[in-house]
Amino acid sequence: MLAGISLTCFTASYAVALLLEITRMWFRSGLRGVLMLGFAAAGVLAHTIYLGKRATESIGTPLSSEFDWYLIAAWALAAVYLGWTFRQQLAVNERRTAVGIFLLPLVLGLVAVGYYFGGRQPLAREVASISWVRIHLTCLALGFVSVLVGFVTGIMDLVQAYRLKRKLAPQQGLRLPSLEWLERAGVRSVYASFVLLTLGLLTGVILNMVNGQFPWSDPTVLRFAVVVAWQTAATTFLSLYRPARQGRKTAYVTIATAVVVLLSLSLGHLLPSRHGAPRKETGDRRLETGASEFSSLQSPVCSLHVRVLSNLEGTRT
Amino acid sequence: MKLQMVGCSHHNASTETRGRIAFSPSQAAEALARLRERWPATEAVLLSTCNRIELYTAAEEDDATPSHQQVVEFFAEFHGLATIDVFDDLFERSGEDAVRHLFTVAASLDSMVLGEAQILAQVKQAYELATKQASVGPLTNQAFQAALKVAKRVATETSINEKRVSIPSVAVSDFAKNIFERFDDKRILLIGAGEMGEETLTYLKSEGARDIVVVNRSHDRAVALAENFGGRAEQWEFLPQLLVDADLVITTTGATEPIVTLADFEKIEAERFQRDLFILDLAVPRDFDPAIGDCTGVYLYSIDDLQEACRRNRAERDRELPQALTIVETETARFMADLHHRATAPIIKRLKQGWQQPKEDELRRLFNKLPELDDKSRAEIAESFERLINKLLHPPLESLRDESRHGVPHGLMDALKRLFRLKE
Repeated sequence: MLAGISLTCFTASYAVALLLEITRMWFRSGLRGVLMLGFAAAGVLAHTIYLGKRATESIGTPLSSEFDWYLIAAWALAAVYLGWTFRQQLAVNERRTAVGIFLLPLVLGLVAVGYYFGGRQPLAREVASISWVRIHLTCLALGFVSVLVGFVTGIMDLVQAYRLKRKLAPQQGLRLPSLEWLERAGVRSVYASFVLLTLGLLTGVILNMVNGQFPWSDPTVLRFAVVVAWQTAATTFLSLYRPARQGRKTAYVTIATAVVVLLSLSLGHLLPSRHGAPRKETGDRRLETGASEFSSLQSPVCSLHVRVLSNLEGTRT
Repeated sequence: MKLQMVGCSHHNASTETRGRIAFSPSQAAEALARLRERWPATEAVLLSTCNRIELYTAAEEDDATPSHQQVVEFFAEFHGLATIDVFDDLFERSGEDAVRHLFTVAASLDSMVLGEAQILAQVKQAYELATKQASVGPLTNQAFQAALKVAKRVATETSINEKRVSIPSVAVSDFAKNIFERFDDKRILLIGAGEMGEETLTYLKSEGARDIVVVNRSHDRAVALAENFGGRAEQWEFLPQLLVDADLVITTTGATEPIVTLADFEKIEAERFQRDLFILDLAVPRDFDPAIGDCTGVYLYSIDDLQEACRRNRAERDRELPQALTIVETETARFMADLHHRATAPIIKRLKQGWQQPKEDELRRLFNKLPELDDKSRAEIAESFERLINKLLHPPLESLRDESRHGVPHGLMDALKRLFRLKE
């Protein structure tokens, strides 16, 4: 039965959960909360099995391709939604908030983007399973998820502030968390994404520096450096400029951060890059064979330099 | 089987009376222990809040629970009062009425502020205390679990607990709580000593507000008010600095001109670093220049803005109250049917046992006659007999369940006893 789990299974579960969330704007129901929780849980479970299956099969390991990368980011956001829904379902008097209306479209969007890149070749298992590579890719993926969480809180913050400024009472099914909560979550997401993406960059630099070569002018390296530079500026802005930590500026920063990251990702698909492509001059036959295998690899934020990895891990490549 | 409630609430007893017979948590624990001592076969849960003191008792035997008179005497004795002083204030509900009452209370449909959330937590606490004191039993367990379920249904299927209808409650519930996550770390500034300001402070206190500052042209009045709410009073001339430090401002002065103009506020704004500020201008005419509402991070609400929200909420609540009451009625009927059906359990057990013996005998006879049957065939035949019994028993059991909806089905139970010769 597990073999039959496909992308459609969990995408459909998330889509139904989203539809149920939307219906909250029109009518109330005691059953809907349970159904939403059920569909979200089923979706996350199927999603987990699907990723687990991919990790154990020869196709690749987690985060070894753009497809896996986007699916893992979607999984993390779906898990956040599931946890949130579960907590709300347990609480009798807590006000239900419409976080799902903002979070689930993003989950579905990530799955769709992942599907779009499904045909691309993943990184070879022996490379992707190197510990440093895993750390590098995990930091980037978690940083990306953190940016997305910040984006969602930023949007909700702006909607909530707009409503409160215009003295509009909360609409049924569209109640949002308080501005204070959203601001705090936004600031934390910027700090978390800064730390994670910087760690991702540093591990990438270490991977290349070990080899004594660094492709500074490579578009992938440049756009990633721009993202981290933006993150540094945003974090400094939030840390040093007091008004930025309170009020709507937090929302603007989180949304701008997401835009910068998404622009960087989009550019990655347009600009040619040798980043991650193996070098033939090493004379290593396995590496040469790998060139054709990896040359098309484009990890969303940063891909890998095979020769450096081979040096780091000794004889593995 | 008897379930009853004796107690009083804000509907029929004055604050003084409720104060005299209220139980602190330690007193409630002691009272439950004493009840257990005096009526060992009785289950008991004691709910004591500012607005109600109610003792729920239950027992399998009708005469095992204390009567109304005995509960009144118990309350009076516990608090050192004369029975006559409290007798008229304590009313009784029994059977289905007691269940309906408990469900209505837990769902906050009997509260002073309809739909307030605190009562459910208090019902839970009372139930937990009784559980800890080992004074609950099957009946009270079933009743209180069902009450929590009803409260949850009302909370999820209606918006009654979200709709406030007074200006201060709407200000806190619909707006302040959408700006601030918590109030215990917020500075609340009350300007003026109007009644509505006081009422708003009461709501904020119940939400956890601790840091309260009162400022008034008459400092003595400010001191008296601050003492009431555990806050502090400040001199009027410090108002600009107080506005810099405040997170939430309630203003209710009788001034004929705005006490804070846009120009005044612009000086304050720079020092606030755009921190969110919620201003409830409950004064008529207004105390704050309406243009201040356009400043960054300022949410300025006048009494007119809040009145409109109150009107909307009132209309929605009127629409939803019948639905909430229907939930209570449906759940009460279901609970009573289950309760009555419990009384039929011994009959059902005997009925099933009565059919088991002939089944066993018939199977033994059949297997003796057909020794060539293997284990699989024997199991199939035994299962078939079992299914046959279940099918034969299904109609009378369903009839018992149906009749239980209208009370304990004594007539039907007698008929079954006679028809199937069921012995005690």
